[in-house]
Amino acid sequence: MSESTQQPSAQTQAFMRWFRALIVIGAVAWFAVVVYQNATQPEASNPFKLGLDLAGGSHLIYEADVSGIDPIEVPQLMNVLRDVIERRINVFGVSEPIVQVEKSSFVTDEPIERLVVELPGVTDVSAAVAEIGRTPLLEFKLYSAELDQQQQAVENLNSLTLASSSGATIGEVKVNGEVADKTGTVSPFLDTGLTGRYLETASLEFAGSQTGQLANEPMVAVRFTDEGAKLFAEITAAHVGEQLGIFLDGELLSAPVINEAITGGTATISGSFTPDEARALAQNLSFGALPVPITLQSTQTVGASLGVNVLEHGVKAGVFGFSIIVLFMMLWYRLPGLVSSTALLSYIVIMLGLFQLVPVTLTAAGLAGFVLSLGMAVDANVLVFERMKEEFRSGSSSRKAAEVGFIRAWSAIRDGNITSLLSAIILFWFGTSVVKGFALVFGMGVVVSMFSALTITRTLLMVLPEVSYTEKSFWSKLLGCGLSK
Amino acid sequence: MFAITYRKVWLIIAAVIMIGSALIIGLFGLKQGIDFTGGSLTEVVYESAPTKEALEAGISTLALGGTSVRESTDVNGREAYIIRTRDLSEEEHGAINDIVLALGDGGEVTRFTSIGPVIGQELRDKAGWAIFGVVSVIVLYVAFAFAGIGTPVSSFVYGLITIFVLIHDVLVPTALMSLLGYFAGVEVDVLFVMALLAVLGYSVNDTIVVFDRVRENLKLNRTEHHKKHTEPGGIVRDEVTYRLTKPYDEIVGSAVSETMARSINTSLTTLAALTALYVFGGVVTKTFALILITGVIAGAYSSILIASPLVVAYAAYQARKVS
Repeated sequence: MSESTQQPSAQTQAFMRWFRALIVIGAVAWFAVVVYQNATQPEASNPFKLGLDLAGGSHLIYEADVSGIDPIEVPQLMNVLRDVIERRINVFGVSEPIVQVEKSSFVTDEPIERLVVELPGVTDVSAAVAEIGRTPLLEFKLYSAELDQQQQAVENLNSLTLASSSGATIGEVKVNGEVADKTGTVSPFLDTGLTGRYLETASLEFAGSQTGQLANEPMVAVRFTDEGAKLFAEITAAHVGEQLGIFLDGELLSAPVINEAITGGTATISGSFTPDEARALAQNLSFGALPVPITLQSTQTVGASLGVNVLEHGVKAGVFGFSIIVLFMMLWYRLPGLVSSTALLSYIVIMLGLFQLVPVTLTAAGLAGFVLSLGMAVDANVLVFERMKEEFRSGSSSRKAAEVGFIRAWSAIRDGNITSLLSAIILFWFGTSVVKGFALVFGMGVVVSMFSALTITRTLLMVLPEVSYTEKSFWSKLLGCGLSK
Repeated sequence: MFAITYRKVWLIIAAVIMIGSALIIGLFGLKQGIDFTGGSLTEVVYESAPTKEALEAGISTLALGGTSVRESTDVNGREAYIIRTRDLSEEEHGAINDIVLALGDGGEVTRFTSIGPVIGQELRDKAGWAIFGVVSVIVLYVAFAFAGIGTPVSSFVYGLITIFVLIHDVLVPTALMSLLGYFAGVEVDVLFVMALLAVLGYSVNDTIVVFDRVRENLKLNRTEHHKKHTEPGGIVRDEVTYRLTKPYDEIVGSAVSETMARSINTSLTTLAALTALYVFGGVVTKTFALILITGVIAGAYSSILIASPLVVAYAAYQARKVS
């Protein structure tokens, strides 16, 4: 084996150093573009997620009373509760609501089951609370062809009104004795008086192939109480051949045709459910209102204008903080300072990218933690540069000094960062949602800053020219740091 | 090295600061916010605000017990009021909204928080446990990382001194918070606890860097002496003793001066970020930034002028006891 294959030539080494540095800079630049696009494009797949205190909205904490329930069943019931509340909120039309089951931590004497509801953009809590506290309604209604025709007529009339420019107005349209509103939404279904109140249980079933339905189609089987069974039998007996609509919270689920009088007190609801949907519906129905009673424990509402203001100020603080740190590093450490400023910029880009990808919900506290971490992120570089300076002044070449600097500073960087990381983990573990956000940003900052301050800084430092301190040349002045002795 | 030479002066100053801070906290106490005590806070902003008396009279019709109304300005400089009461039910919340919006012109409720007493209590417990947990982990880690540091002071002492320094660094900002609470009505909230925990993390980092250099310098300035013991049963044990080639206080002194530039520079960059947060950041994080600024200054001071002098003082005390 020749000498040259074991020891690459000086030229090859220099090429490799530049190659690595360019790859690092290219990767960070590409990442920056992705972050920027995600942040600015309205249809981006990973936009920043703003917490309620920045975006405005409401945060509600409910306490569930599980005192009379077998502890084994509690987790399942809490999940049912979550599903029910989630559905009610969806009806309310909130974008990206969060409904979570939360258990009080073990520091309290008795575990308390909680339901945390976050409603971005909703500042009228009263309306939201009313919606959440509402009981779901299961209704059986009969389809009426007559009503449907009238409905068609109303729609036609309305379209006529809209179309006619003569200014002729149409008076009240009466449908079934009631005044139809001008939008013409008259439901073609008639109330039967049969509601979820008469329900005893509901369960998940799968259709057999012999009934003419799709094999294994998930369905919900309901059993009525005695009173309900009687009512159901009467209705079905009187309306054979008609359609019976099944409504949940005013929405039509399915409208099966009544084939014969059903006297057994059972019925099945099918409506192209997935098994999970059918199970959820069965749970929701059989538990009637809510599986466990809940009481509102805490409310927090932040107006959108306040949130925007906090966000703008936080960003401004970050920009100013970054500028001062860069200025300081460049004045004190000169060329290495410029390198560490580049590393700090990469740190910001990587952190912002992680905020989008993970995604981390940004809060005022998280933002403050991030600004704080900017100051601490350069610490590893400061440690390395101080060591490097010692080596450089005691006669090592600049590149050698940098290598030794990294090795010597490592134990301090390691010990300091491990304690910080442990603190972040404990905070995350104990914390409430606000503290968790801060702890997550803090912990991520520790890990990412170690990467940026060690890997990126080292790669970039290695492409700087190799000089010695005694040269007193332009480069050696740029590479020397601090106040020269 | 002045940090070691005048160690008695620094330690007396530290003792004065710590006792003073503890006295301030004991005397003025901490004003706990609704995060911990439970209660409600309503911020209402007006284009044209009613008088404070009118607002108080309106709210008193609800008979909620002790309520307080404070004048304030919102982020855009409009007139605002902050109303504090006990925690409210949804009906009571609605009633307060109706009353405050009926008064004045262009009223808008920009912030509402109501926290039940159970959650407040739990948060207080959690805060206590979190601080306890972080401190324990730090002591254990320091004792572990510095194990085998050898003569003349054991690694456990470094761990204990780290804790002592932590207490100093936490007492100072807490005393500031106590004064702010007493004179400016600033309340302790979750953000304050987070600021304290961040101070803990920062301070221990600072102290570890100095101790790391002490550890390194100890290794460079000692000679190893091996002594072979033959124990019954033929087991040969190698006993290593170290002898320092320089006095301990000189070794610690040089470690302090070698890490001084780093300590000051990192503190300056962190302070730069925090000052930006204080000056430009939102109202919500102003107190948070102030507490951290105080904590970082205390941390920089203590890592240079308390931690190392204390470890030298302990070594001297130990030497006196032996002789």
